[in-house]
Parts: sequence; structure tokens; C-alpha cells
Amino acid sequence: MKQTLYDMLVAYIVQEQNKFYRLAYSYVKNQEDALDVVQNAVCRALENYDSLRDEKAVKTWFYKILVNECFALLKAKKRMVLSEDDSYWEIPYEEEGYEIHDDLHIQIGQMEKDVQTIIKLRFFEELTLEEISRVLEINLNTVKAKLYRGLKTLRVAIGKERGA
Amino acid sequence: MKRMEEAKRQYDDIPIPKELSERVLAEIEKAGIKRREKAAWERRRRIMKRGKMAAAAAAAAVVLFTAGVNTSEVFARELQDIPVLGTMARVLTFRSYETESEDLKISVDIPSIEMIAQNLSGMEDAVNEEIYVFCEQYADAAVERAKEYRQAFLDTGGTEEEWAAHNISIKVWYEVKSQTDRYLSLVVMGSENWTSAYNQAKYYNFDLEAGKWITLQDVLGEDYAQTATQSILRQIEKRETEDGVEYWVEEWEGIGENPNFYMNPGGNPVVVLEKYEIAPGTAGMPEFEIPVQ
Repeated sequence: MKQTLYDMLVAYIVQEQNKFYRLAYSYVKNQEDALDVVQNAVCRALENYDSLRDEKAVKTWFYKILVNECFALLKAKKRMVLSEDDSYWEIPYEEEGYEIHDDLHIQIGQMEKDVQTIIKLRFFEELTLEEISRVLEINLNTVKAKLYRGLKTLRVAIGKERGA
Repeated sequence: MKRMEEAKRQYDDIPIPKELSERVLAEIEKAGIKRREKAAWERRRRIMKRGKMAAAAAAAAVVLFTAGVNTSEVFARELQDIPVLGTMARVLTFRSYETESEDLKISVDIPSIEMIAQNLSGMEDAVNEEIYVFCEQYADAAVERAKEYRQAFLDTGGTEEEWAAHNISIKVWYEVKSQTDRYLSLVVMGSENWTSAYNQAKYYNFDLEAGKWITLQDVLGEDYAQTATQSILRQIEKRETEDGVEYWVEEWEGIGENPNFYMNPGGNPVVVLEKYEIAPGTAGMPEFEIPVQ
């Protein structure tokens, strides 16, 4: 029984890895970090697969791990920048990679953590609101409220830019 | 909503690097190895448990069945397992293996702690598992490092014969530092003969009276860091004048949190500093006995 659940998880990861990567990339914005995030998430998922109780929950369970890893990496990077004395801090060399030029992406990237994740999962990963509430472990109504608030902010922000 | 669709299209266009699948597969493989190791460990643990129960049963029955000793081989074997009075725990070699190929020699002795006293039963499980995983992982990683080293050696013009002359060996072993009525201390170590950069040592100390795994704070109290640091500095002063070893006292920040230590047979903790932490590499891992007040 357990064996099959583990195998199923492995199969799910192999099959969906591109999606994981895109989502990770949308947060960390560079290839190396996105690869690290996906790798860490896979490692963590396989290590803790006992906490996966139900085959049907695998998607939301994995997204939860993945999103947590994204924020953990962003936080670690931020701490590194802050803790370094300015005079010693070298601007890291970032490889010229794929850049998302769309200003909507930039706007989304500036939003509050949860709102950002809700929008990405809803519109890019096409999860249902119910699934999102399981990923973020917040209740459905809160998810809805945050989503609508987020969309409103986006419209305002985009509107402003156009007006300018 | 049109803009959201456009955003989604851009999102879907994020290119997938070819390393992705390699890295995901590598991670899956790594997890698979760990999982198999853990399963093997669980199996062994169950077998050991059964053995322990048989020994306890034999202990209870020993008076009644002394006549059986010479006639039953199984029984005699079980008799050896009966603890010596007063011993509450002991360390056994759980798994030991040696492999030797043309250019690589590995020897591994994995210890396992067995609590004999009834009230301590089960307290060793987590630590035994940790030790087991540590030993296996160290050995695996060392083999990987040896392979890389070999490749680098050959790539830079070395020959197979020259490589074989390196006599590469990997060793994982343990030492029981002390075993008294009060404490059980052991250290598990891993080393490679071509580099000391990856040498590792893990110390485990169990307080048999209190029935728990202990840290230096448990032995020296709240101010353990200060007590130990001051004692070490005093001892260094003495050693410098007596043995002429040079220590880097100025740069040393004192002992860190949860330093390595073992209990010596006299009941005092001995703090083991990392190589290069406070002295040149030739001094190895300096040890300092800290008297308990």
C-alpha cells in the first residue's frame, strides 16, 4: 500500500516537473535558483512522503512544499544581501536568461506572498480555489477574499500605468 | 482578463532547461537509496529486538534449565547474551564489512547501542538509526569522492598504475570512550587516507542514571560554555609553556553550541575541538578535560 503511494508520488513528480520548474522560476527569476528549488522540493517530498495520506491529495501537497521552498530561498537570499556589508557586496552575475517582460507579471511579483501565490496557482497553474486553500492551508473564503483584493489592486495598478 | 491570458502565455513559455530532468531523477535516485537503507535498518532492528527478547527469557529461565546448557546449542548462544550484572547498556558491532577492489579499500564497522536495563529500553533506537545512516552515508560519499579524485587524476595525465599506488582506503569505525555505571560514551568516525578535509567524528553520550542522551550543558550546567572555555584557556597556557605547541588563542571565540565531547572514565567531560579550530593541523583535534565542580 505504502509502496504504491511512494511510486505514485515519484511518477507524479516525473510527469509534472516542468510545471514545478515554471512556478519556481516565476518566483526566483533565474534558472539556477529555480532548479535548486525544484530539487529541494523533490527531496523534501520524498523524505516526508509518510505525511502524504491520500493519493488524491498529492497535487496540493506537493505544491505546498514547492511554494514553501520558493519563499525559503527568497528569504535566504534576502538575508544574505542584508547581512553583507555594502562595500563588500558584489553584484551577483546573473545569466542572461528568459525574461518575463509582461508588466502584469511584475505587478504580481510585488504583491503580498499569499496573494501572489493565489493568482499564480489560479491563473497559471489552473488550480481550483479549493485546491489553493489546501495548498496555503487557509480557508476558502479567505482565499476568495484575497484573490479579489489582489485582482482589484492589479487593475488599479495597470490602469494607473496606462493613465501615466 | 485578456491581459491575464497573455500573462499565462508568457508563463507557459518559460523555457525548461535540460538539466531539470537530470536533477529531478538524481534526487529520486538518492531518495530511493536512502529508503532502501532505512528499510534494511528496520529489518535488522526487528531481528535484534527478537534476539533481545529471547535473551531476557533465557535470563529468567537460567536457574531452572542449567542442565540444558551443554546439550542445546541455541540455548548456549542465548546464554552469552545475558548481561553481566550491573551493566545497563553496551555497544555492539552491528554491521561490519570490508571490501577491497584493485584501487579502493573500504572498511566499515557500524556500532549499535543496546540498552539492557528494562527502563531504558527503546531509548537507543533513534540514535542507532542516526549512527547507521551516518556511517552508510559517509562511506557512500567517500567512495564518490574517491571516484572523482581518480577521474581527475587520470584526466590530468596520471596512469592507472600510478593511481593504484595511491592505496586509497576509506574507514568508518567507532570507539567506546568510556562505559561506567553512570555514563556510556562513544564516538563514530569516518576518514579517508588521501585527505583529512572530510574527516568526521560524532560523539554520543548517554547518562544511564538520568536515562537520557546528554549535552555538555547537562554535565556542566547553565554556564557550560563559559566554564569550558575558561578551563580550556587555562590549560592552553600550561600546554604552551610545557609542550611548546602554538595555539591560536586570539582568534578563538570559545566553544560553540553543543561542542563535541565525551565522558572519560573519571566522570569528567572531555571537549574535543575541531582540527584547525584553535591550533595548526599537526595538533589534530585537541582534547581538554573539563573538571566537574
